[in-house]
Amino acid sequence: MKKLKKWLPAFLLGIIGIAAVLIGVVYFEFISRRIYEDSTGHLEEIYGQVNRSFRAFIDRNWGILNGWGDSFSLTPDEDNTEVAELIREEKDYWGFSEFYFLSAEKQSITLDGAGGSLKLEDSWDSLMKDREPVMAGEKLASGQEVTVFAVPVQHGHYNEFGFDAIAISYTNADLARSLNVEAFSGNAKCFVIHSDGRVLLSTWTGGSVFSNYLVYLQAASDLSDTEAARIRSDWESGVSGLLRCKIGGVDNCILYQPVGYQDYILLSAVPLNVVSAGFLAVQKTTVNVLAVVFLLLAVAAAAFVIWRGYNQSRKSRTELQYRELMFDVLSSSVDDIFIMLDGTNQAVDYISPNIERLLGIPVEEARSDIRVMEKCAVNFDVVIPKQEIEAIPIGGNRYRECEYMHQTTGERRWYRMTVYHQSIQNVVKYIIVLSDRTQEQQMNQKLQEALTAARSANEAKSNFLSNMSHDIRTPMNAIVGFSVLLEKDADHADKVREYTRKIMASSHHLLSLINDVLDMSKIESGKTSLNVDRFSLPELLEELNIILMPQAKAKKQDFVFRVQGTPPEQLIGDKLRLNQILINLLSNAVKYTPDGGNIEFTVTELPQAQPAGQYVKLRFEVKDNGIGMSEEFQKNVFAPFSREISSVTNKIQGTGLGMAITKNLVDLMGGIIHVESAPGKGSTFTVELSFALPEQGDIQSQEKMSADPNARAGGAAEAQTASVMEGKLFLVAEDNELNAEILTEMLDIEGARCELAENGQEAVEMFEKSAPGYYDMILMDVQMPVMNGYEATRRIRAGSHPEAKTIPIVAMTANTFAEDVRDALAAGMDGHLGKPIDMNAVREMVGRLLNRTKDKSEREE
Amino acid sequence: MKRQRISALLILAVMVCLTACGGGGSQKHTTLSVMGRKSDMEKSYMTALFGHYESTTGNKLNLIKIEDADFETEAAKRFAAGNVPDVFLHFHNADLNRFDVAGNFCYLNDEAWADDLTDSARAYCEDRDGNLLGLPFWENSVSGCYYNKTILDSLGIKPATTQAEFDVLCQVLSEAGYTPICWPADGCTWMYQFGLDPVFADDPELLEKLNRNEISYSGIPQVESMAEWIGSAADKGWFGPDYLRTGWSDISLDLGSGDAVMTFIWDTWFYTDFEQGQKYGIDDFAVMPVFMNTAEEGTYEGGNLNMMMINKNGQQLEAAKEFLAFCASPENYNVAFDGISTESCFKGQTTNIQSEMVTDAQASIAEKERVSTAASRIVGYSADDVAAAYNSLLRGKTDAAGCVKMMDDARQEEAKKYGAEGF
Repeated sequence: MKKLKKWLPAFLLGIIGIAAVLIGVVYFEFISRRIYEDSTGHLEEIYGQVNRSFRAFIDRNWGILNGWGDSFSLTPDEDNTEVAELIREEKDYWGFSEFYFLSAEKQSITLDGAGGSLKLEDSWDSLMKDREPVMAGEKLASGQEVTVFAVPVQHGHYNEFGFDAIAISYTNADLARSLNVEAFSGNAKCFVIHSDGRVLLSTWTGGSVFSNYLVYLQAASDLSDTEAARIRSDWESGVSGLLRCKIGGVDNCILYQPVGYQDYILLSAVPLNVVSAGFLAVQKTTVNVLAVVFLLLAVAAAAFVIWRGYNQSRKSRTELQYRELMFDVLSSSVDDIFIMLDGTNQAVDYISPNIERLLGIPVEEARSDIRVMEKCAVNFDVVIPKQEIEAIPIGGNRYRECEYMHQTTGERRWYRMTVYHQSIQNVVKYIIVLSDRTQEQQMNQKLQEALTAARSANEAKSNFLSNMSHDIRTPMNAIVGFSVLLEKDADHADKVREYTRKIMASSHHLLSLINDVLDMSKIESGKTSLNVDRFSLPELLEELNIILMPQAKAKKQDFVFRVQGTPPEQLIGDKLRLNQILINLLSNAVKYTPDGGNIEFTVTELPQAQPAGQYVKLRFEVKDNGIGMSEEFQKNVFAPFSREISSVTNKIQGTGLGMAITKNLVDLMGGIIHVESAPGKGSTFTVELSFALPEQGDIQSQEKMSADPNARAGGAAEAQTASVMEGKLFLVAEDNELNAEILTEMLDIEGARCELAENGQEAVEMFEKSAPGYYDMILMDVQMPVMNGYEATRRIRAGSHPEAKTIPIVAMTANTFAEDVRDALAAGMDGHLGKPIDMNAVREMVGRLLNRTKDKSEREE
Repeated sequence: MKRQRISALLILAVMVCLTACGGGGSQKHTTLSVMGRKSDMEKSYMTALFGHYESTTGNKLNLIKIEDADFETEAAKRFAAGNVPDVFLHFHNADLNRFDVAGNFCYLNDEAWADDLTDSARAYCEDRDGNLLGLPFWENSVSGCYYNKTILDSLGIKPATTQAEFDVLCQVLSEAGYTPICWPADGCTWMYQFGLDPVFADDPELLEKLNRNEISYSGIPQVESMAEWIGSAADKGWFGPDYLRTGWSDISLDLGSGDAVMTFIWDTWFYTDFEQGQKYGIDDFAVMPVFMNTAEEGTYEGGNLNMMMINKNGQQLEAAKEFLAFCASPENYNVAFDGISTESCFKGQTTNIQSEMVTDAQASIAEKERVSTAASRIVGYSADDVAAAYNSLLRGKTDAAGCVKMMDDARQEEAKKYGAEGF
C-alpha cells in the first residue's frame, strides 16, 4: 500500500505525459491531414485553372486555324500572297513560331515554302482520315522541340503544294512560359503528357529532359507497382487524380487532370512543403506554441518534482543529520559503540564517535576502514567473517564476546558485539552494536578475586588455627608437663629451679605468641591506627640500645649503632610503632645471629623529594652476618607464620608473626621494607620511612643528633639498678584476687610492699586518705568493677591530694595494644605494663619513674 | 575544286618520291633523328608509321625516346645544348613554350598536305598567328559529356541540349540515387579546359586581349560562372560524396558500375582505359555536349594532338619535310591508323574506326565542337595550375572569385616565366 502511494504521483504523471503525447500526435495528424487536404485542394484549384487556360489556348489555336482554312485558295494557280502576308502578321500577333501546310501524303511546307518534316507523332490519321484537329509534339531537324496544332481543311493548294490541313507550331519553351504557374515560387513542375507518360512539353526550365514521366516516377520515386498501375489506368481512362510520393527523399504532390483533347494530361508535381508552405507555417507555429507550452509545463513539473525532491531530500538529510547528531550525543555519554555497514561491501556508513574515547581509534580512520579495529582487538577477529555475516538471516543477529585494548592508554575493555542483519527496501545493512561489558567483567573479576581471596582466607584461617594450635600447644605442653614434674619433684630444689626456669621460658614464649597474634589480628582487621606525635629520635635509639644491648652482650655479639648524616632529633610520627618495627628487626638479628656475630644498625637521612624542612626520610638498616635466608623463603618472609625450617631455626623460638607485623606496620606508615639475604651469610633488612618535622618555632632548640648515640645510650643503661623497689610501698588496684596475690608475692620478693584496692573507686579513696609520701607509686589495673583504671587515674589526678599530680601511676593490665598504652597515658598514667607481669619490666619502669620523680623533686628544691 | 587540287599535288609528290626511290640505286639513304615522349612514340600507329617509313623509303629513323616523367626537362636540356632533333613530337600546350618554337621549328602552312587536315586538327596545330606548327599525327578524340544512356532510358529522361536541361538532368539523377557526374578531383586536370574552350573559341578577340594581358580571367564573366557552377554542382552532390578522394583510375569503375552516370572525357578513353566486363559496357554509353555554364548549348572539344615539328636549322631540313609528307600521305596514314578507334585528323583518313558514340552524335558534334583552345592558345595556361585553383574551391578554401584569381595569378606567373609579350 505504501509502495502504491509512493509511486502513484509518478504513475499519474506518466499517464498524463502519455495522454499529452497521444493528444499531440492525434492533433498533429489531424492538422497534417487538414493541411494536406487544404493544400491539395488549393493545388487542384490552381491547376484546374491552368488546365482550363490551356484548353482555351488549344481551342483558340484551332479556332484560328479553322478561320484561316477557309481563306486559302483551292486552286494551284491562285495567288496566296495576301493570305501569306496575313498569316505572317498573325504569327507576330499570336506568337507562334511557324505555320505549316500539310498534305495527306505526310508532307509539309512552311509559309516560306520550305519543306517541313513534321511527323505529328501518331496523329496523322486522326488529322487526315478522322478529320479531327490535333495537337502533337515535334522535334525539328534543328533539334528544337515544338508543339504543333493542326486542323483539317478542304484540299487546297499553296504555291503548287496541295494541302489537306494547316498547322501552327509553338516552341515548347514559349508554350511552357505561358503555362508556368507562379503560385509556388517557381517550384512547381508542370507537364503536358500523353496517357502513356510520354512528355509533350514541360513548364519547368530544362524539364524537357523528361521523355516519359511515368517511367521516371516508377524509377525515381517510392511509388509502388500498384500505385503506378492505378496511375496508368487513370491516365488511360482520362481520370483526374492526386497522389503523394517521395522523389529524392522529398514528399511531392502529383496532380493529374485530363486536358480534354486526345489523350493529353496536364500533370503537375509540387513538393509537399511548397504546396503546404503557408499552412505548414501555421502548423509549425501551432506546434511550436504547443511545444513551448508543453515544454514550459514539463519544465514547471520537472522543477516542481525536483524542488519537492530536493526539499524531501534536504528534509531527509536534515533528519538524518539530526539523528546522527543525536546518536553522536547519545554515544558520547555511553560506552556502547554503534556501527552501520553497507550490506554489499561492508563499507562504514556510520560509526559512533565515542570509538575514539573508548578504543583510541580516530573516527575517520575507522570510517575509512573498519578493519583498523583489529589493531586493538585482544582475543578475536574484529570483523566477523563475511560468510558468517551473510549467513545471518534478514532480521536476525549474531553476537560474540570481545576484548579490546585502548590504543593509547592500554586500558582493557570488554564488549558484546552483536551484528544485526537488516534490509529496508532491499537495501541491506549490518548494524553492529558493541555493548560495553567492562564493569560487568570487572565485577566478575573482583568477585572471582574475592572468591579466591575468601578461599585463601579460609585456607589461611585453617593454616592459622593449625599453626596456632601447634604453636600454643607446644609451650603449653611444656608448662603443663613441667608443672606436673614440679609437683612430683617439689622436694628437689635443683629440679624445681630447672622446671620453673623451663616453665617460665615456655610461658614467655606463649605470651609473646599471644601478643603477636593479637597485634597481627588487630593490624589486619584495620583497627590499628598510628599515634602520631612528636618524639625524639635519640631517645628512641637510646631505648633500643637499652633493650637490645644486653641481649647482644649475652650472645657476645658485636652490636654497633651508627647514624649517618645529621638527621633531625625531633620527628613527628608514631614512636611506639617505630620502636616495635626496629625491635622486631634487631631482636631477630640478635636471635638469628650466632654467638660472637656482628650486628649493625645504621640510621641514614636520605635526600627528600618533599618540601625541605617539612619532611625527612630516614633509612633504618639492620645488617647481620647470621644464618641468613634461602631465596625461596625470602619471598614469604613477610607472610604470617612463616619460618624457615632448618636445623638452626628449629632451636630458636619464634611465633612467625614478627616480620608480618613489621611489614604491616611499615606499610601503615607509608614506608618500604625489603631484605637481602643469603643462607649462611646473614641478612640485611632495610626500612625507609618519612617523618614530618615539627614547625620551625617548635624546634628552635632542636639539636642535630650526635654521630655516636652509643655514648648516650650507654649512660642510660648504667642507671638501672636491681634494688630500686626495695622498701617501696605500692597502692595496687586489682580486682582479681589471684593476680593480686601474685603481684603481692612478687613485690615481696623484690622487698617491696603493697596495699590492695578491689576497684578504681576504692583506690581513689585510699589515695585521697593517704598522707603525702605514703605511697611511692600506684599500680592500676584498667578493667575493674565500680570504676575502671582510667577513670580512677583521672580522679586521682584531679584530686586534692598534694601528690595528686605527681604520684607515678602505672597501668598494669591485660590490655596491651598500643591504643591501650595511649589511652593509659591520656588518662594521666605515667607508664604501662602488660600482663602477665614481667618483673624485669616492672623493675625497669619503677626505677625510671621513681628516678624521674626524684629528679623533679631535686630540681624543685 | 580545292580538294581536287590538293589530291593532285599529293599524287605528284608521291610519284616524285617513288621515282626517286625507284631510280636511285645510287640514292643515298638518310637517317633522321626523331625525339619524343617514349610512350607516345610507342603507340601502335606510331610504330607502324616508323616501320612503314623505313621499309618503304630505306631511310633510317634515329628514335630518341625520352622517359615520360623526364620528357619536358630532358628535352629542354638537349635543346639548350644544341641537340635539336630533326623531328620533334610534342603536344600543342603550354610546355611547348620551353622549346623556342619560333626559333627552332618550321612553319608548315605551305606544305601540300596542310589542306588535307581536318579543320579542328589544323586549328589545333596553329599558333595564335595562324602558323601551322606541325603535322598532327595522333588520335583525334572527341571530348564531351559521355553518359550512360541505358540509365537515362530507365529513368525516362533524355540527354540535355541546354545548360538548363543539363542542370535538371543532374538534379533528376541525383534524386534517383545516382552520382550524376563522375568528377575525380585528383589528377583529372583536363576537364576544366572543356568549359573554357567555347569562351575563347567563340570570341577570338577575347582571347587576344587575354594573351596581350589586357584583360584577365576575372574580367571574363563566363570564367567565374564556370567556377560558380562547378562549386555549386559539388555542393549539390552532383559529383557524388567521394569526388575529392577519387582519381583517374576510379572513372572506369564508377561508370562501369553505374554508380556514376556521366563524365567529361573523350571517346578513345573508352577503348584504351575503360575496363570491360562491368555492369555497363561501351554500348551503354553515348555522348552529349559538356555543360559547364559557359555555353548554353554546351560544347565538345576537338582532339588534343601530338604534332611532328621539324628543325628548321637542321642539316636535313628537306629530308625532314619529306618525312612529314610521307606521313601525311593517305596511303601511309591509312596504313598507320588501320583499325584504330579515333576520329580523323586527315580528310582522307578511311581506315580508322569511328566510335558509335561519336557517330550517333555527329550532328551535335559538328554543331558544337570547338578546337581545344584553352590549353593550346592561352598564354601561360597550365592544366595543373587551373586544377589546383579548382581544388582549392572544391575543398572550400576559396570561393569562385578566389578560384579565378588563383587561375589568373598562376597564368601570369607562367607567362612571365617564358617572357610572353605584355606580361
